[in-house]
Amino acid sequence: MESNAGTTETRSNLTASDGGEVTAFESLQFTDKIHRLILAPTTDNASSFTALLELPPPQAVELLHSPDSPKLIAASPPNVEVFEGSFRFPSNTGLIERDARFSVFSGEANNSNEKRNSPESKNVIANLEKNVKTEPAETESSQPTVEKRSIKRKNRENKVKGSTKKSKTAANESSEDAEKLPYVHVRARRGQATDSHSLAERARREKINARMKLLQELVPGCNKISGTALVLDEIINHVQSLQRQVEFLSMKLAAVNPRIDFNLDSVFTSESGGSLMDSNFPSLVMPAMWPEVQGNGHTQQYQHQWHLDALQQPVWGREEVCNNYITPENSLLTYDSSANSATLQANQLKMEL
Amino acid sequence: MRPHSSLKQEFVKKWMAGLQRCSFSNKNMSILERKKAIKLSADVAMASVRNSTTCWSRALISSASKDGSDNHLVEQILGPETESNRPAMANKAQTRRASVCKKIVKRSRRIRRRGRRKCVAAAPAKALTSTIAKHLVRKRTQVLKSLIPGGEFMNEICLIEETLDYITSLRIQVDVMRSLAAGASVRASE
Repeated sequence: MESNAGTTETRSNLTASDGGEVTAFESLQFTDKIHRLILAPTTDNASSFTALLELPPPQAVELLHSPDSPKLIAASPPNVEVFEGSFRFPSNTGLIERDARFSVFSGEANNSNEKRNSPESKNVIANLEKNVKTEPAETESSQPTVEKRSIKRKNRENKVKGSTKKSKTAANESSEDAEKLPYVHVRARRGQATDSHSLAERARREKINARMKLLQELVPGCNKISGTALVLDEIINHVQSLQRQVEFLSMKLAAVNPRIDFNLDSVFTSESGGSLMDSNFPSLVMPAMWPEVQGNGHTQQYQHQWHLDALQQPVWGREEVCNNYITPENSLLTYDSSANSATLQANQLKMEL
Repeated sequence: MRPHSSLKQEFVKKWMAGLQRCSFSNKNMSILERKKAIKLSADVAMASVRNSTTCWSRALISSASKDGSDNHLVEQILGPETESNRPAMANKAQTRRASVCKKIVKRSRRIRRRGRRKCVAAAPAKALTSTIAKHLVRKRTQVLKSLIPGGEFMNEICLIEETLDYITSLRIQVDVMRSLAAGASVRASE
């Protein structure tokens, strides 16, 4: 592969940097990709490395990363000029090296081989990626090191962005790419440790804090509390109370109905009455019910079932436990039931109409 | 309430279907059995609304289908399509349990080692507030893990996400049951 690079006549900066890129990235499992990259031109009309040069850089990266052929055609030649124009900015190598030091995975960048070549080659790759229309890193999700590379590239990109002429679409794409990447950029703040462990820990802590904020909003009364332990206390209390409520309500339902199957139609009508009181199901149960109600002919049936259920009450008298449960609940609910019955009657009137 | 109506509808549908099927199996049940059946079908319906996308729902369903007595109920509620999933879930639960056991053993070893070191080092030094705070937080996360189904298998980040989801589903369940109970008791009072 290096012989190929050697035999090319046109030695532009690109070939030099690509050769350097090849040697630099060997340690990072790019060799196979580079092999493919160099062998791939055979599938195209050209059969040498120069043909790859003629392709605009986005197409080169396309070959590198994704096998989508139509996109190769879509990439337009003017990108070459953009690429060449933006390739020369030696002033940014300083920024890039600072990036290299402070990025999350800076440990990898400190290979002595790469010190010289990496800023340049990463510049190349950064520019290549800027102009690429699709997200290359997505296809490499199986290889974490590749993603780490792309993160470094993005870091440098973020630094380098301002200095290059870029189309807006490329900028949007890079920001979109950043969202799609499973890794999060972490920039070390001033005065903080920069080794990867503490940075990763900080990222993790930030994740946890973000989710704790969501929880605080969800659980009522947690907004004013500060401190993780107290917030967790509130959350635990809330979950426990909800679970206890579920138990209590299921016991209540078991007490109220001797049969579990509830006689669904009547249950839904009564539920609609309860819902009017609760305003919890604004239109939930009603539309669910009305498809079942086929015409007004059913309304009389419902009233029938209502009466039947009322008649069945003496049957419940056999279960003493049932009675004991019902009476205190009735006393609790008499306050509500009057309102309920009124609404229910109003409902029935509406149904009849 | 917030846009939970679609979730509520799904939950109600599945719950009612499950209760219907449950009633066919056993005509005469004591109140406690009924309560258990109601709660179980509600829980399983709630978990199936999530369609096994969350960890707690999978854990709930797998623990519910573990017992032989409730198995048929769970089958009926979930439907025949999920029967193929359940052996996979059971295996997952087993492997999770095995991994958890290993973690516990490792943790105990680590704690024993740390305990020895700390006894030597911390005795002269004062206890820092940060360590106290960490201790408190750790205790509470343990309690939370015991509350949420399948919580022991998750790391902290997942735990918090699962609590969020679990709390919303519990709220939906409570709302539905409350309105149902209110309506049913109104009917009973008439």
